[in-house]
Amino acid sequence: MLLDRIRAARLPILLGSAALVVAAVRLPLWGMTLVSTQFPEGLRMVVYPNRIIGDINELNTLNHYIGMMPISDGFFTELRILPAAFLAIAALLAVAAVVRRAWSTALPLAAMGALAGYGGWSMVHRLYQFGHDLDPRAAIHIEPFSPPMLGFNQIAQFATWSYFSWGTFLPLVAGLLAAAVLVADLRAGRGTTAPAGATRGGTSPAAGLSVKPSSLAA
Amino acid sequence: MPTTTLKGNPIMSRVRFGAAALAAAGLAACGGVKPQAPGQRTMATGDVQQAALASYVKPGDHDQFYLFYSGGHSGQVFVAGVPSMRHITTIPVFAPYPGTGYGFDEESRRMMGDFTWGDVHHPALSKTDGDYDGRWLFVNDNANNRIARIDLRDMKTHQILGPIPNTSGNHGSSMVTNNSEYALVATRFSVPLEGRYAPVDDYATKYKGAVTGIRIDPKDGTMSVGWQVMTPPFDWDLGATGKGPSDGWAFWTSYNSERAIGKLEANASQRDRDYIAVVNWKAAEAATKAGRTTTVSGVPMIDPAKVPGVMYLLPCGKSPHGVDVDPSGEYVICSGKLQPTSTVYSFQKIQDAIAKQAFTGDEDGIPVLKYEDAMIMEVPVGLGPLHTQFDGKGYAYTSLYVESAIAKWKLPPYAPGTDPKSLVLDKIPVQFNVGHLVVAEGDTRHPQGQWLVAMNKMSKGRHLSTGPSIPESSQLIDINGNKMQMVYEAYTEPEPHFAQLVRASLIKPIEFYPKAESKDPNAVWTPAEAKVTRNAATRTVEAKVLAIRSYFTPSRLQVMEGDTVIIHVTNAEQARDEIHGFGIAAFDRNVVIDPGETKTLRFVARKSGVYPYYCTNFCSALHQEMQGYFEVVPQGQQMALYKGNQGAMAIPGEDGRAPGAAPAAAHAGHGGPQQVAAH
Repeated sequence: MLLDRIRAARLPILLGSAALVVAAVRLPLWGMTLVSTQFPEGLRMVVYPNRIIGDINELNTLNHYIGMMPISDGFFTELRILPAAFLAIAALLAVAAVVRRAWSTALPLAAMGALAGYGGWSMVHRLYQFGHDLDPRAAIHIEPFSPPMLGFNQIAQFATWSYFSWGTFLPLVAGLLAAAVLVADLRAGRGTTAPAGATRGGTSPAAGLSVKPSSLAA
Repeated sequence: MPTTTLKGNPIMSRVRFGAAALAAAGLAACGGVKPQAPGQRTMATGDVQQAALASYVKPGDHDQFYLFYSGGHSGQVFVAGVPSMRHITTIPVFAPYPGTGYGFDEESRRMMGDFTWGDVHHPALSKTDGDYDGRWLFVNDNANNRIARIDLRDMKTHQILGPIPNTSGNHGSSMVTNNSEYALVATRFSVPLEGRYAPVDDYATKYKGAVTGIRIDPKDGTMSVGWQVMTPPFDWDLGATGKGPSDGWAFWTSYNSERAIGKLEANASQRDRDYIAVVNWKAAEAATKAGRTTTVSGVPMIDPAKVPGVMYLLPCGKSPHGVDVDPSGEYVICSGKLQPTSTVYSFQKIQDAIAKQAFTGDEDGIPVLKYEDAMIMEVPVGLGPLHTQFDGKGYAYTSLYVESAIAKWKLPPYAPGTDPKSLVLDKIPVQFNVGHLVVAEGDTRHPQGQWLVAMNKMSKGRHLSTGPSIPESSQLIDINGNKMQMVYEAYTEPEPHFAQLVRASLIKPIEFYPKAESKDPNAVWTPAEAKVTRNAATRTVEAKVLAIRSYFTPSRLQVMEGDTVIIHVTNAEQARDEIHGFGIAAFDRNVVIDPGETKTLRFVARKSGVYPYYCTNFCSALHQEMQGYFEVVPQGQQMALYKGNQGAMAIPGEDGRAPGAAPAAAHAGHGGPQQVAAH
């Protein structure tokens, strides 16, 4: 059965998930490319967990005409939080790999959920903030707007393409893998992931969230 | 046509084509018969279409080759693309060029010195192992005895060296050696050494010529005068450097070996032969290191009579212009422009003759070789042969000034008993009177062939009329096949002499100056860094000004009448083509600053008043608004922006509104910039 196989491969799956999350620290989360007649090669902005790269100088220079705040690494607290959060989640996944208890798997999953929520809110908030908090004395007055988070759009003379990237996808994959392990853990019941034939019966599923030192030895 | 040509050049009648003139005159005498110009080719419709496609580079596409051609007495270098022949840009070198602000900022003014023009003849690309390496372009100034280096990284002039001492009319330049050790120079006019005066009557005894080795720093290209070799008072014309077996040697043609003065047209055309100087520049370098020189005008000068092995003289056809070395480095081609032949010399035979000391005499102690010892063939290329280039496939191309044609001919080796006439394989007329010609990488060890550009001295109204003052013509010729094909014609401002035609892939210019590389201590990158200070004691105002779309910081500069004003403008952009200018109305000052560049203006504010400054190079939709005021306060008045007329100037806030002005209204829907982006 699939869940048995997952249970059997619990250690490599969770360590692999941790590795995916660690790798994501160095990968782009999200990006936006703006193309116009005079920028046929496109202006790029690419957000990593710890920095924003691309044609930021040029985008800031153009954006100042509509009174948009300059984009700079220092402005975003997210860029300091995200790398630490990613590494913490990776550590929790690694712990879960050896602790072998459903609660240990649930912990990084919960953290990932929280981080996904924070990340999503942050994106919406920042896109709104940069599109609405415009200097009223700017040369050009435009209707406040929220730059699109995903897909093709048109902003003034620019065709834009917003996309998520591997820094988002890998933790997502890690989360799905961890979730599968959690399901397997829970199915195997009793919160342990002992190989088939070494079951420790009698505990309720809920007991999976309780501390059981003996499981460490399994 | 031959008749007119001969009339214009009476001395030509002394050579072998008197018969042609007679034939033409005979035809004319028949009455009503118009002689046909020789060799004219009419293009069939199919040829025209083929030629049109061959030179067409569609919008957005790039040319295959860069053509760097000299601007002659415009003092500049022109850059075109081949095969389109489109003029792409002008690189100012020896003359001010308001278009790029060259000659207005302190650095370029310092380079140009007190001169306002130059005469660029022969551009030469730097080489590694005898092939172009795409680093630098060296150009001569025939007028003011200078040589300049253009760095191809930013395609700007970075150094002007000169006036080179003991040199007058730096024509025989710039010839770059195999590994860019030297750019070689020869004086066109002989003059008394050390800038002394001697009447022209003393020409034969007190006047001297010189060839010069300009040392090139292998890392940054910085030029310095290495050594000079003193020569008899001939006029040195053009040179070439050796390659392969002839690496370490250089060759220059001369005219006026008669040492005549006065009307040289005739007086310098009396001897049947002039000379090629055969110079062992490695020996000259060694002699300099060994101290076998005397210092003349601060330059180590070698007297070749006292240092044997440095210079020999090799007779060649009279009044030669060009001398060229074939890609193998074994054959040296020289054409006497008053003879209808090009002479092919063997470098090996030159060396053998030197080894045997088979000299026929000397000129001021410089041994003269025997023409027959070194020569292997006289190729009857045609009338008025000037310069030769090579395609790397065993063929040579010689420009024929008098005949207005390019001759294609075969290089050695030749079978014994070869009929010289059989070596000339093709000839194509050009319009008109070709001077130099250039083949793609045609003076390197590995020419690319494909294209030949004929730089013609006369265009004679082939273009829309521009009145009496007319441009030169440059013609693009396809040399891929057995027969040369005329493909395209372009007109250039005066006046291309020689050019370098190089594969585009070898040239890799930057798109802007990266901020991280800026070394200018006066650069400013944010409005907060902009600063203006006044020193009342020295009466000097120094301003560090920021230029970025679409404003200057500060937007006001206050100085006192009579102050010396130093303005450093930094273009803080880091994007291609975001070029700003800084021009001050009525002050005759304009600099153009490329992205990431800082330029400095210096002048005295002689007249009080208010002078607007503005961005001169169109930058953005709000370019027109990119302006400020330069206030020159009359003597005796207070300068409101300084405390006690000195110290740091208070920089007005960017949202400054003139007292009493109506509050700024938001103009929604106002025609906005073309470039608006959102994050």
